[in-house]
Amino acid sequence: MRWTLWIVLGLFPLVDGHPTLKTNQNSLETADAALNHQSGSLNSVLHLDDTEKAALEPTRVDPAFPMKELNTSHYPATRAARVAQHYLNYHHGSPSKWFMVHDIKKASSEDIPEVGTKYHIQFSVQEQATKEIVGNCTAEILFRQTEEQSAPEVNCTCDDLLKIKTSDADHALYLHIKHQPEPVAGTDIPDSQGNIPKEMEPFWYLGGIGASFIMWQQSNESTLYNMVHVHSVKQLNSENDLLAFDYVVLLHDMVSQEIIHWHMQVAWNPTQGVKVTQCNLLPKDTMKQPSAEKHKI
Amino acid sequence: MYWNIRSTCILIVLFPLLQSSKVRYDGVQDWLESQTYQHNYQQRTLKDYDYTKYHKVDEISRWMNLVTEQYKDVVTQHVLGMTYENQTINYLKIGEKSGKPKKVIWMDCGIHAREWISPAFCQWFVKELLENYKTDEKISRFFQNMDFYVVPLLNMDGYNYTWTENRLWRKSRSPSPVSNCSCFGTDLNRNFDASWNSIGASQNCCSEIFCGSKAESESEVKAVVDLVGRIKNDILCFLTIHSYGQLILMPYGHPNKTAPNHDEHLKLGQNAANAIKQKHGTSYRVGPPSQILYPNSGSSRDWARDIGIEFSYTFELRDNGTYGFELPADQIQPTCEEAMAGVNTIVEYVHNKHFGSAAAATVALWSTVLASYLSLLVLVQ
Repeated sequence: MRWTLWIVLGLFPLVDGHPTLKTNQNSLETADAALNHQSGSLNSVLHLDDTEKAALEPTRVDPAFPMKELNTSHYPATRAARVAQHYLNYHHGSPSKWFMVHDIKKASSEDIPEVGTKYHIQFSVQEQATKEIVGNCTAEILFRQTEEQSAPEVNCTCDDLLKIKTSDADHALYLHIKHQPEPVAGTDIPDSQGNIPKEMEPFWYLGGIGASFIMWQQSNESTLYNMVHVHSVKQLNSENDLLAFDYVVLLHDMVSQEIIHWHMQVAWNPTQGVKVTQCNLLPKDTMKQPSAEKHKI
Repeated sequence: MYWNIRSTCILIVLFPLLQSSKVRYDGVQDWLESQTYQHNYQQRTLKDYDYTKYHKVDEISRWMNLVTEQYKDVVTQHVLGMTYENQTINYLKIGEKSGKPKKVIWMDCGIHAREWISPAFCQWFVKELLENYKTDEKISRFFQNMDFYVVPLLNMDGYNYTWTENRLWRKSRSPSPVSNCSCFGTDLNRNFDASWNSIGASQNCCSEIFCGSKAESESEVKAVVDLVGRIKNDILCFLTIHSYGQLILMPYGHPNKTAPNHDEHLKLGQNAANAIKQKHGTSYRVGPPSQILYPNSGSSRDWARDIGIEFSYTFELRDNGTYGFELPADQIQPTCEEAMAGVNTIVEYVHNKHFGSAAAATVALWSTVLASYLSLLVLVQ
């Protein structure tokens, strides 16, 4: 009997854990639930249930009506929504207000013979400075079938867009810039490490809003643009009440992975909003690349 | 015969105690103390390493040496291959040492030079494993049953170029294979032999998605192919880390190809995305790139699936385009924490699928104990 006790005591340290599986709060439970449902089998496999399979259907085409329901996480919907974002930013953005698509709720497309494809998107956007979410945006985006690039035609409205109140911040910034002794200038925003000095943030936003015009104009069904770098910003002389800036911005097209350099001039005041007064594409090679950490150790 | 059984039982009892790390032997106390002093000194150096900062190539190499030395019980460093510029690409093999071959989890980072958050994540991932394997039951089991093969920085030439010349460089730094094209670099993630050069890649050597003169033309790709090809039967899961886009991509990039375990891949990816969202609220989309991003070919993920590795994922980390490649360093920690949760979900699933869950293992062990006890009882009677 004593030996029995020794054996049990001796083998005890070899056994770790306890027979009941600890479950965490996170969604490991989903995986574990799937595993545990297979009665004791070690070869448990995750399966999609019928609802999940239905949600994954890419398109449902009703032959009586050409509208095609789109999967909101597939790229046709995300690309169209991005165009709406660029449009929204150009028409409503400012140095204090910059929107990103937050969530796509519903998407559909229709092929219009000899015209192009029109997308209908319901989505929400998040404003980057305030982090506020504007829930109800709808947009129609028409990509025309043309040989050369032509800007997609966009109709976009959001309920509650006006709840994002930035006019005070915009006016304060406007006056601050007007009263500076030296014209504003900056390079490499963000820097290599992603840093943006606080005082340059509005000019980063303004560059983004101006770039939104270019990105909207340059978009088609095979592009997905973001502004990834402000190479330079320089305030220009202006005689009227608009502030004017000269920018070189770097756009990233996710589909081709190319970095495209654009030169643009942007005019802004709080009441008239942002206008791109001129812009031109810069050749890839003649442009100085975004600088790396040459001066820092 | 009774005496032999008794002495055997004594050995069985004492054996686990001998294995315990709490045992100290007289006569080696001084030696142990000197080892502890050195261990603490190295620990102070590694403890100074800032995982919430971006690091240059040489800093990462030094860190790998420190990790290998500090955690020599569970880490060994090996050569994967060479870059075009003759840099040695190293990888870490992490897990309890064993005489027999173990199952493998593969992770590589920094295949695209400008995606700085990627090597930052590999370093974070290694740190998390090593700081917790003694106390975390799950990681401890992973270390017993599997080895983690981690390549913290695959495209060393390109990454170095982003620190010295061009922050937004993507490709390798090999010269053009064609005489009438003066641009440098091949897109390493279009250079694998997976429907190579069929779609979503370019034969223009100046293109960011130039797929090379032929599949596996790049030495960095060859290095991965050689090792992974050799141990493919042991690899449970192939993970390759990129940015940006907040995506978990599964095979395939080619629109006409679907993995045989597509549904399981997708469900597991969605579980991982749910785990990510629980951490800091960040949304990741899941699916094959042919549906959720863009059709492409020649990727390492697709190649891994093609050679029979059951699970293969590309992680595209933060963000969604606000900062893009130039993700601020203050986002390294939250990005790595959420990615860790996602990777952990996948690793745990593939581990449990192969080895059984902790509960099943415990039940099996208790059954063995009981069976041994009963059979000994019979012998002793």
